[in-house]
Amino acid sequence: MKPLAEALRSRGVVVCVGPGGVGKTTLAAALALQGAALGRKSLVCTIDPARRLASALGLSELGNIARRISESELQAAGIQLAAPVQAMMLDMKQSWDELIARSASPEQSERILANRFYQSLSSALAGSQEYIALEKLWELHSAGTQDLLVLDTPPTAQALDFLDAPARVMDFFGSDTARWLLTPALRGTKVGLRLFGLGGNLISRALSRVVGGQTLSDLATFLLAMSGMNEGFRERAQAVRALLASQETVVVLVTGPAAERREEAVRFHHSLREQRLNVAAVVVNQVHADVDPEDVAAAARLPEPLRSKLERTLSEGHQLALADAQSIRELRAAVAPTPLLTVPRFEGDVHDLSALWRAGTYLVSDTTPGEGQAAAAAARGA
Amino acid sequence: MPRSRTPMAQLPRTRLLVITGKGGVGKSTVSAALALALARSGKRVLLCEVNSGGRATALLGYPPAGPELTRLEGELWSVDVRPAEAMREYIMKRVRIERVYRALFENPLVRAFLRFIPSLAETVMLGKILWHVRDADGARPRWDVVVADAPATGHALTFLGVPQVLLDTLPPGTMAEEATWMRDLLVDPAVTKALVVALPEELPILESLELAAGLRALHLALTAVVLNQATEPRFLPADVAALAPLPRLEALARAHVEQANRTRQAVQRLSTLAAPVFELPRLYRGAMDRASIEALGATLLAGFKGWA
Repeated sequence: MKPLAEALRSRGVVVCVGPGGVGKTTLAAALALQGAALGRKSLVCTIDPARRLASALGLSELGNIARRISESELQAAGIQLAAPVQAMMLDMKQSWDELIARSASPEQSERILANRFYQSLSSALAGSQEYIALEKLWELHSAGTQDLLVLDTPPTAQALDFLDAPARVMDFFGSDTARWLLTPALRGTKVGLRLFGLGGNLISRALSRVVGGQTLSDLATFLLAMSGMNEGFRERAQAVRALLASQETVVVLVTGPAAERREEAVRFHHSLREQRLNVAAVVVNQVHADVDPEDVAAAARLPEPLRSKLERTLSEGHQLALADAQSIRELRAAVAPTPLLTVPRFEGDVHDLSALWRAGTYLVSDTTPGEGQAAAAAARGA
Repeated sequence: MPRSRTPMAQLPRTRLLVITGKGGVGKSTVSAALALALARSGKRVLLCEVNSGGRATALLGYPPAGPELTRLEGELWSVDVRPAEAMREYIMKRVRIERVYRALFENPLVRAFLRFIPSLAETVMLGKILWHVRDADGARPRWDVVVADAPATGHALTFLGVPQVLLDTLPPGTMAEEATWMRDLLVDPAVTKALVVALPEELPILESLELAAGLRALHLALTAVVLNQATEPRFLPADVAALAPLPRLEALARAHVEQANRTRQAVQRLSTLAAPVFELPRLYRGAMDRASIEALGATLLAGFKGWA
């Protein structure tokens, strides 16, 4: 059985990571469809800021509320599922608001929601989305209403931050120094001043010079308002980290066949392993299929100018396939023993349900299309 | 020589060229090619990568860029702007004393704290790029043009929007002052121009249109759209009809026709952005080598000059 079919049958969380532009979001959606086909209630959650999944799933809009992919749409695409499949895209601001409302008392959450740091933290600002995405993952997982959660993540550099986010939050809220720092602030009246009185005035003066005095004291006020929730934050961060590292979760590293992507993928794979995550597979998406020698022979028998036009097209296809195969060989060796799967490139975009389904079959089917002919035949024939 | 109002004259005057687009469309390739071509045309060029591991520089056949400015050839330099080093530079500029810097950064709490300030990393990285734009060598700027290989769509908008968000967020003070000059440089069309790289496929095109709208909302000037992997028409309808007895070759020809159609449709849709669209032909080799990058850069620069 393919390692991913195994994962879709038995695991609860599949996290798709990888660089941008390799069809990660598409494959995440494809995996959720396959999961549902195996009889598991599935949900795909994307945190990608560009609304790609929405158009890939033919939905006009996604929101923090999971929506079931319509039965009739699936039927129209000829897809038979044994369980429902849902899709959602995180609304960052709304997720933060929900988190605060859930974790704080009414007055406390009012204070937090009004604080300008919160405003920036919860809106478009970088850095907070990784954390809130994992919060959401945890929430969905705890709700226990789905058998299988498939999570899409932001592109490369950010995806590592993403996996690191719970650790960072724990680092901050969990360190003894932070607690030592926040506790007197909680009791003291001159909040911001106490907060940065540590280590003498040198540090606090220098910090003020870096970020501005008013900024510091505003931030201190914010942290004070948040501090009642520290324990909750910390516990959840710990729980999310544990969930990511548990047997419940597998990571799928999605990349493209281009040689430029290879080093990036290898680096990524290495750091995932270093973080002790279960990497179920490296998936090379959009692999160019090689041309069939029969087609080359047939083209040679045609009159000009058709013959040269076809020969040129076939030769271009062959060049692309050769380059991909070489790149995949090197990647396979570099990530061993992690299994490597390939998904052929389809003509046109994969942005309707039947194309998503077709892409998904390459991730779970028992046949192992190589880098060459089988994939070629499938891409042409299907 | 009279000053031309054509884009041809605008590009050389641009001090900061921000290259962005959906992930995987070839931003680094376009950045590297354009930086090289501009340097060849006699400009002093700094290729700025944004925490990319130095990929764009590697495409030019050099070791991947690091956090230090490195001369590649002639007046072409490159740097990979990384958060930790950018932060250090930023703080050193503020506090000036190494001892104070170390006191700050040897304190784990302060380190954790700085990391927690939203967007501080983005601020210092963008700040470093813009600082290079402002950097002067006597009376003239140190760099004629800084080519920034920016992050992909969503993160690019966040990244470039950081100064405005800070201004909306922060009380008056040090960071707000920083944000002001940064924002002012970014929205000045005589200084900064954005270039969007796109692919002739449905989702990348949608995303490019969204990205262009996002850039407009940030008041960044869009100078051009580069459509990468463009396919020229090759098969006529009669060719496809003649292939009817050979279904597989017919499918091959049809696929090529569709590819060319997608290119044409992409150009049409991107043309609504009121910026010229350049087509870069699809290349059929594997990895981009130095020669293909050089050819690409020459094509691009010629495209800029060809604007009327």
